[in-house]
Order: sequence, then structure tokens, then C-alpha cells
Amino acid sequence: MMPDVVRICLVLVLVSSAFLLSSRSLSNLVKNYQYQSVLLVLIATGLAVIEDRPLLFLIAALTLASKVFGLPAFIRMIQERMRIQQDIRFSYLHPTGALMVSIGIILLVYVCFARILHTLYAHNSLFFLGSVIGVSMVLMGLLAVCTRKMAITKVIGYLSMENGVLLFGLFVTELPFIIEFVIMVDLIILVLLTTLLTVGIDSSIEEYKVRLQKFHLWTEEEGAQ
Amino acid sequence: MNEFSILYGFLNISLVLLVSPLFMTVIKKVKARVQERSGPQFLQGYYNLAKLFRKETLYSDYSSFISRIAPYASISILLVAALQVPLIWVPSQELVTGNIIVFLYLLVAGRFLLALLGLDSASTFGGMGSSREMSLSAIIEPVTVVVFAALAYVMGSLSIPEIFRNATLQFPAFSPTILLLSISFFILILVETGRIPVDNPETHLELTMVHEGMLLDTSGRNLALFELGHAVKQTLLMAFLLNVLLPVGMVLDVSVSALLIGGFLFLIKGLGLCLVIGLFESSLAKMRFFQIPNLFMIAFFLSILTIFVEVML
Repeated sequence: MMPDVVRICLVLVLVSSAFLLSSRSLSNLVKNYQYQSVLLVLIATGLAVIEDRPLLFLIAALTLASKVFGLPAFIRMIQERMRIQQDIRFSYLHPTGALMVSIGIILLVYVCFARILHTLYAHNSLFFLGSVIGVSMVLMGLLAVCTRKMAITKVIGYLSMENGVLLFGLFVTELPFIIEFVIMVDLIILVLLTTLLTVGIDSSIEEYKVRLQKFHLWTEEEGAQ
Repeated sequence: MNEFSILYGFLNISLVLLVSPLFMTVIKKVKARVQERSGPQFLQGYYNLAKLFRKETLYSDYSSFISRIAPYASISILLVAALQVPLIWVPSQELVTGNIIVFLYLLVAGRFLLALLGLDSASTFGGMGSSREMSLSAIIEPVTVVVFAALAYVMGSLSIPEIFRNATLQFPAFSPTILLLSISFFILILVETGRIPVDNPETHLELTMVHEGMLLDTSGRNLALFELGHAVKQTLLMAFLLNVLLPVGMVLDVSVSALLIGGFLFLIKGLGLCLVIGLFESSLAKMRFFQIPNLFMIAFFLSILTIFVEVML
């Protein structure tokens, strides 16, 4: 029963990556990232039960705190302050093309991994599926970073890439807990820095403070009109 | 042909004709309730059909024999398609010759007749509707084929009764591939039956209409046949989703009690799916015409993913 649940979660994680490439509404994108992270929590918990590795419960708890609640809440706050609702601009590829490319990516990853990992995990298809989906997610996140124009959407692409790394880590290599923790800290810093850069990347230092005040990013006041 | 074939055909066609108008009405009712309106009565679909069957049929001055035969040909094609899709009873032997490929061709033939009808009356709206329908068809047909191919691959057969039998025997499967197929089929139902976000079946006035545009010059009995055919098509596609995802109540060994229970359970499952479709339609706005391929692409992506995952597992 538990391996079946993990398999279903794995496939849903990949589906959420596909929605990340095709969704135009920013609030949907953030929700999608949140659901993806919830699925990762379920996968980590399921694996902890299947493999009897209590450390994975810690990773699940950390993911729940940072990726399900922390980062999405922060991105939502930025989005509300900056009054961004949609990201309808794409570069290089539109959603239809991006989904076609992702089919190619999954096929490519499957073919490569079938040669490398299939003998290693011949007895357990779950680990093979997990590793293929993990790397596919990383590459689909990269595709989102390349095809999306807004910085805030690119950040969600990066976050999705990190979810792929975590998934791959869960199934193939056993990432030490401390590394997972440091990655989380990096992610939070990434989101903060990107916010700062997005606001003032094309400004001088003098103008920068004015722009920060305009969006009221660090105050409790309502966002700019 | 033996007595089982006749019984099977009679049961399938009767059931599909009986429940299809109800399913259409329930979706309208759900949408109305979401908008805080009372909506039509549950039997309104039957009353509308009865009224249309009694009304006079009018033809455009420019229409040819196509307008006269298309309604009968269309409903006949869909009833033949209905014979291929067991709703409640999956016979142990192949009582009707056919498979997924024949079923798809029958659906396409129905669509082709409808497009011809739209052009035949020589009205602007009809021609525009037909043009749009064919443009969408060119994109949706490959997706439909891939969705059904994924179903055949996962279930290991092209025969529809065999697919349903395998689904019944595997139930509850807890399989990711069945889940993915269900999402693809759900999108397919919306697209093939012209529902929001692809088309709006409620309106006859907007310039954006597709399906209704082709039927603007149809009246009386002909319109009733097309409306019924549309409802039958929706029920058949719903049956695919219901009998693969949730094959509860499917009858493998025929008996009167099993058929009654199976029929009742199919009705309940169908009403549940209508509720989901109604809520889904209410939560979305109609898509811009040139954004519709994005929706098809999601169904295509999920179907390809289904095949990949089935190979990997």
C-alpha cells in the first residue's frame, strides 16, 4: 500500500512541474509549488516508513516548515506588495512548446538512467522511478527558469529545481541532513536576494532605498497603489 | 448473433438513451446552483427533447440533402458507438465487433457530419462554427488518439470490453497510471463535449460559440436528435472514465439483480461525475480560442507520461 501511495505522489509531483510550465497566474504558481512540496513531504514520510529511516521524518518536517509554509507565504507577501497577478510573458518557448520539450526531457532522462541505474535498482522499480522523476523535475525547473520572464516566476522555477534535487537525493543518494538544512537556508536567502534585486536591479544605490519604500517591502503598510 | 447479443445491445442503448439527458440536466443544475439560481428541474432535459420532437422541422432555402440525413446519420453513428462501450455489463465473449480504433472513427464521423451540417445551411454562423470545429479537431484528434492509446497500453488491450474487464479485476488498483489517465479523460470529456473552458454550451449569442454555432439553423426533430446525440457522446466518454477509474458495479456474470445494482451504481457514479464537471465549469472562465491548445497539451503530456510511467513500473 505505502509504495503505491509513494508512486502516486511521485507522478503527481511531475504533473505539478508540468503545471509550473503552463500556468499563467502567479497565485496558482505559488499554490502549485506548495502542493508540490506537500507531495515531497508525503514521499519523504512514505520512504521513512518503507525503509525505516527516521532521519527522513526530519527532512519531511523541515520541508513542511520551509517549503510548504515559509517560502510560499513570503513569495505571496512580495506578490501582494508588488501587485503582480500574472506572468503572461514567455521567452523562447510558450507553454505548449515547453510541455513538448519536457516530454523529450523525461524520455531522455529515462533512456540515460535505464542504462546506468536499471541494473542497480532492477529489483525495485520505485527507486528507479523516483530518480528519473527527480532529475526530470530539475530539468523542467530549469526550463521554467529559461522560459519565464518575470524574476518572481524564475524564483519558483529555481525552487522547483531544488525540489527535484531533494527528490533525487531521497531516492538515489542519501543526502546528510545537515546538507539538506543548508540547502533550505540557501533557498531562503535566494528568495530574499531575488526580491531585493527585482526591486532595484536597474537602479543606483540612491534610488534603491526609494524603490524599497515605494513597495513597502519591509514595512507593515499596504502595498503601493 | 445470439440472444445475449440482443440483450446486451438493448440494455446498452436503452441505458445510454435514458441517462444521457439526465446527466446533461444535472450539470446545468449544478452550474445554476453555484450561481445561486434554482436551475432546471431534473427531468427538464426529457421535456425539452419531447417538445423538440413535436415541433415542426424547418430547413434553410439553401440546404441540401445533408441537412435532412445528417441528424439521423449522426445519432445512428453514436448509437453504434454506444454498442461498443459496455456501461454496466461486460460480456465474457465479444458480442459486438469493434475496438477503440473503431470507436474513435465513429466519433470523428459524427463530428464530420455536424461540420457538414453547419456549412450546408449557408449561414454565416454555421460556417464559422464548422470552421472552428474543424480547426479544433485538427489539434484535438491526435491528443484523443494518444489518450486512448495510453489507455490501451495500460490495460493491455484494444478491445473496450476487455479494458473494462481488466479494470474491474484490478480494482482497487492504486495505480498512478490510472490516476493520470483519469485526468486526461476528464480533459477529453470537456473538450469533446464542448464545455467550458473550451466552448460554452449555454450560449447561442456569443461570437465565440463553436458547437452551438453549427446547430443554429437546425430545428424541431433534427435539433432534438443532435441534442440527444451530444448527450449520448458525453455519457459514452464519461463511461470510459467511470468504468476505468471506478469500476464498481460492473457486471461480469449477468443476472437480473446484478444488472439492476450495476445500473443504479452507474447512475450514482455518473451523477457524481456530473457534479464534478459542473463545479469545474463554474470555477473557470472560457479560454481564448488560441489558448485552447494549452489545455489539449496538458492531456497529451499526461497521456505520454502515463505510457512512460507504465514502462518504468
